[in-house]
Amino acid sequence: MLAHLAVAFLLLQSPQHRTIAIDERLAQDAGIAIGDRLTVSARPGAPDGDTVIVSAILKRSADPAEIARSEYQVRMHLDHLQSVASYGDRVDRFAVATRGDSAIESALRDINAAAFGFEAHRSRDIAVGTSRTFQVVSRFHKAIGVITIVASAIFLLCIMLLKVEERRRDVAALRLMGISATTVVKGVVAEAALLALVGSVLGVGVGWFASQLINWYYQGLYRSPLYFSLITAEIVTFAVGLSLVLGIVAGFLASLRLVRTPPLTLFGR
Amino acid sequence: MVVQLAWASLRRHATRTLLAILGVAVAAAMLLDMVMMSTGLRESFRELLMSRGFQLRIAPRGTLPFDTDATITGVSGIVATLRMNPDIVTISPVLGSTIHVPIGDRTFTSATLGADPAIQGDYELLSGRDPIARDEIAVNDDFIRATGVRIGDSMRVATGYDPQLRTYSDSRTMVITGRVRFLYGAANQLATAMNLPTVQEMARLPDNASLFMIKVRDDVDVEEARAWIEAEVPRVSALSIATALEQVDQRLSYFRQLAFILGTVSLFVGFLLVTTLITVSVNERVGEITVMRALGVSKLHIVQQIVLEGVVITLSGAIAGLGLGLVTARYLNSILASFPGLPVAIDFFLFQPKAAWMSLGLLSLSGIAAGIYPAFRAASLPIATTLREEAIA
Repeated sequence: MLAHLAVAFLLLQSPQHRTIAIDERLAQDAGIAIGDRLTVSARPGAPDGDTVIVSAILKRSADPAEIARSEYQVRMHLDHLQSVASYGDRVDRFAVATRGDSAIESALRDINAAAFGFEAHRSRDIAVGTSRTFQVVSRFHKAIGVITIVASAIFLLCIMLLKVEERRRDVAALRLMGISATTVVKGVVAEAALLALVGSVLGVGVGWFASQLINWYYQGLYRSPLYFSLITAEIVTFAVGLSLVLGIVAGFLASLRLVRTPPLTLFGR
Repeated sequence: MVVQLAWASLRRHATRTLLAILGVAVAAAMLLDMVMMSTGLRESFRELLMSRGFQLRIAPRGTLPFDTDATITGVSGIVATLRMNPDIVTISPVLGSTIHVPIGDRTFTSATLGADPAIQGDYELLSGRDPIARDEIAVNDDFIRATGVRIGDSMRVATGYDPQLRTYSDSRTMVITGRVRFLYGAANQLATAMNLPTVQEMARLPDNASLFMIKVRDDVDVEEARAWIEAEVPRVSALSIATALEQVDQRLSYFRQLAFILGTVSLFVGFLLVTTLITVSVNERVGEITVMRALGVSKLHIVQQIVLEGVVITLSGAIAGLGLGLVTARYLNSILASFPGLPVAIDFFLFQPKAAWMSLGLLSLSGIAAGIYPAFRAASLPIATTLREEAIA
């Protein structure tokens, strides 16, 4: 409140000075506060800069495109920026809102047919075109994910093989008592499924904790409110489902190997 | 004797051993990839920056080369100032711009660099000759593929576009004199090169440059030269290889951190797998080990045999993982090579013998560590009690 009063006072004292808004990172790094006077120009070190007053400090938006380029941001009134940048009566783009999604197609058609000198695009298409960096990172993460799944599958198969082989004598006794091979396989598979389920629930917990840690670290590093790691219901379902399938397959293969061995051989006779 | 016993034990459970080696191989491949990524990106970038021997770059103050559209004015004055320093041996001003090339009913937009062909450090000539005259241009392979032009062809080249009239301005006919490869060009980027005055004239920036590339004498401290330039020309930022690498480190720190985390996880998974297998294997052979102890085999001998089993699994997996790691690194590199704006010559996964030795060393250590606990446990079993329990079982 006091800061706004100070700005209002400064504006009354010097009506020729325009106001600007700066992002919180610039304010923090350069030690700028609301009410401070700055000189802005389109060229570094230009002697003909324009003196302005900082009237607001903006919170950074959660825009992934801003992460790689750690730029500072300044917001100015359009006519002011046009004047400072010697841009004349020009703009880089217009943002147009339509009455609902159904009006987008007709608006695009009408603008492109009527306008001379520019072209209208859907915001969604522009977003796709400018998010190539994240598409590449996403593809990279998927490839790493596949390698991790292969490693997990082998690990799980190894563990199941060991678990089942530990019970060679139990299985031999069951088989000699007349319990069918199918029942033994079912029992082992059920055990494997239970193990996989418990393991994946624990994994979801570890994943959630890791996700919190990642967000805390990278939000601080890049000073951005962006979520770097997001655990969704689809991801949890996929992870638990995959663990179950891998566990069941590993259990099935391991138990199959065991029931095909004669019971007396399992006893070591 | 120790080797024979370890080998016999591993062969007794061939499937289990094979699976363990496979598991370690995947973990080793991942570890190698991550070690390659953590060091390769930086090394690859350093090699690229040093490829033509320019130790310094000058960009508009507060920016990185070609990071923004800002240009440095007063090129001739800056060149004159820089020539006052006897340590500076080569100065190559470069101006970047965009050109439009209408061919048939299509118009191709391409990046263009203006530089002095005799001293430039941005491209290498693949065939033909450098563009010397004001109506000459050299093009890269992506440009040739997209437009279908050949060396010796003429084409109309424009730098300006009037959106009101939808026409190209500052248009002139240029002859293609050569085929070039841009050292810092991104993947699938159409790019061309001209003489510096040609681009300055076409872009209507008669005394501007986007950056200067500077060579200093080999016996000179580059950082001293950098500080001198920034003091003499306060409008610019001078970047040495070290400062450029710092900037790259900052921007791509995510990949180094990811490499560290995944590398650690891979090592831990490999360690866990070998430990589990050796522990179970030892538990199964408690009777056998105790009999050996009862026959007078020393504790050290037992420990050596069990540790050797872990090392054999780890090393076999690591060797298989080396090949697998190189294949996956190539695949992962092909994904990251399409990173927008990054030079195509940059390798995220650069193979260095040091990386391979480091991975092998870390895995060997984890293999030894994995066998130590079960080995000591087995060697320390009370002989009489264990024999009695095993006999009853």
